[in-house]
Amino acid sequence: MDIFSDLWLGATTAFQPINLAYGFVGCLLGTAIGVLPGLGPTATIAMLLPITFGLQPESALIMLAGIFYGAQYGGSTTAILINLPGESSSVVTAIDGYQMARKGRAGPALATAALGSFFAGTVATVLLAVAAPPLAAVALEFGPAEYFSLMILGLVASVALASGSLSKAFAMIVFGLLLGSIGTDVESGTPRYVFDVPQLYDGLNFVAVSMGIFGICEILRNLEHEQERSVGVKKVTGLMLNRDDFRRIRGPVLRGTALGSLLGVLPGGGAMLASFAAYAMEKRVSPNRAEFGKGAIEGVAAPEAANNAGAQTSFIPMLTLGIPGNPVMALMVGAMILQGITPGPNVISDEPALFWGMIVSMWSGNLMLVILNLPLIGLWVRMLTIPYHLLFPAIIGFCCIGAYSINNSVFDVFIMAGFSVIGFALSKLRFEPAPLLLGFILGPMLEENLRRAMLISQGDPTVFVRSPLSLALLVAAMIVLALVLAPSISRKRDEAFTE
Amino acid sequence: MLQIRNGRDFIGGLGMILVSLLFIWFGRDLEVGNSFQMGPGYFPTMLSLLLVAIGLIIIVQSLVVMGKDEPAEPANWKAFGLVILAPIFFGLAMPGLGLAPTMLAMIVAVSFASKYASWRRSVALGLFMAVCSVVLFTRLLSLPVSAFAPWIPILGGAG
Repeated sequence: MDIFSDLWLGATTAFQPINLAYGFVGCLLGTAIGVLPGLGPTATIAMLLPITFGLQPESALIMLAGIFYGAQYGGSTTAILINLPGESSSVVTAIDGYQMARKGRAGPALATAALGSFFAGTVATVLLAVAAPPLAAVALEFGPAEYFSLMILGLVASVALASGSLSKAFAMIVFGLLLGSIGTDVESGTPRYVFDVPQLYDGLNFVAVSMGIFGICEILRNLEHEQERSVGVKKVTGLMLNRDDFRRIRGPVLRGTALGSLLGVLPGGGAMLASFAAYAMEKRVSPNRAEFGKGAIEGVAAPEAANNAGAQTSFIPMLTLGIPGNPVMALMVGAMILQGITPGPNVISDEPALFWGMIVSMWSGNLMLVILNLPLIGLWVRMLTIPYHLLFPAIIGFCCIGAYSINNSVFDVFIMAGFSVIGFALSKLRFEPAPLLLGFILGPMLEENLRRAMLISQGDPTVFVRSPLSLALLVAAMIVLALVLAPSISRKRDEAFTE
Repeated sequence: MLQIRNGRDFIGGLGMILVSLLFIWFGRDLEVGNSFQMGPGYFPTMLSLLLVAIGLIIIVQSLVVMGKDEPAEPANWKAFGLVILAPIFFGLAMPGLGLAPTMLAMIVAVSFASKYASWRRSVALGLFMAVCSVVLFTRLLSLPVSAFAPWIPILGGAG
């Protein structure tokens, strides 16, 4: 079997001591930022991105991936113990997890979260290994028209999955696409919107923009409602699950994994949406639905499995098509480009050691996280006693150096400051920042493929419907759009987000 | 009589229209071309027009749909100003002062964005961050930044 030799190659890469070490650092960092509210994976990866420049590509990507899924683990720990979700993806875990902790069942809740996540991570990794190569093979056949339609589908789907107003999410995408057009036009070499600033000829730097919108802006929001965290945690005892617990979490973990894997692949999806959807579904189908909200173990198992599965499978479109589905994946694309690798369907054949090494490292990383998390819970909880007023100046400091070190110029620091203002204004007006970033990343790709497709077809726009694949993708986009616009669904969607 | 039922969205819609007008205005010299051979201005112009349309829709919605009543949040202007100014100060001072003094000054200043800040702890944190960043960035990662730059007498230019 081919896949076994591929996985063997991946294992030899991932288990090199240096890569294991960086994977461990990534998982450790990820758990730490997952525990700390107010510091998310997007901002952390953006800060560390310039530093990874000096590393081997494999080590760099393994570490960054570790931060992302490590954060999913860490976020649940504080959600359960002190009702303070460290990440948005563990918000729903807090509902039942904290109730379990109050009843003295914090141990089983933590164990459920860890084991559910590990199971989901393993399944999603296998899914990634099996599904990615054929998908990439299909993607190799894509022409500009197909790529354009695929990105349209991606953007539409990300709007549908965003919370809040549809028209505002669309506005954010278009705003992001416009920001992406700043810089030298690739086809004609004409500078656009650069105002004779030499640093703008390469476009706005993505890392600086995302640090502004996600890193600094988050601090502004936290300082608005600043309050001292009081941490009172009882000692956690008895991590073991009894037989009844095992029986009860089996179904929710399986359903959560399936739903999470599916939602993770969708653009705009990923961990947060997966956990919300899994909790909502479990609440409907579980035989113990009366217990939900009062400490049902199912309410911990399903969303925790789903968010980890979703985090893992969101790598699929990024690795096979080169199209990032969420801001973290966009940063991973940025990391690859920094390393001189062009993301896209060619990565599997051109960089097999990197691709398979990353996949195997995800599994070994998940294993490390289980081992890391359960015995070290005391340490993570103690991290929470670091007061926020000591934490945020440090975050700002690292953001500044991170932005500076992208090009060794202060220009990117100013860009970061500018976008923190824009991001804050947008959040005050209740615009979601994630679609903006997605549009910003996809903008240049979208334009390039649109122009190429139209050039090939000599200005005939029917090129997008003549190719069956492109037509299918556009029809899918229309269906998604119609579904969200349909009133009954949009009501359900609101319910899912308020639950 | 039309009235604004959701002020936040009304401003948001206006803002989006303003953004697109800016893009149209500053892109007015870019060649648009036609759909066969698109010029550099084609894509941004189309997007700007699309954004105008979306902005109008948001405004119409703000006139029709009632906004949720949310209590007005008191703006924390001091924190806001400090956090925004900190990176700008960093960018301005870094080339002249070097990493260590810039970091120290910025951390101490920005920590007062929090109402729980105290001088002693802020200076301690600033010193800690200055040492950490110098060791991490100039020694371990050997980025081309100097700990002390020309504006600092004696030390400047040596690190």
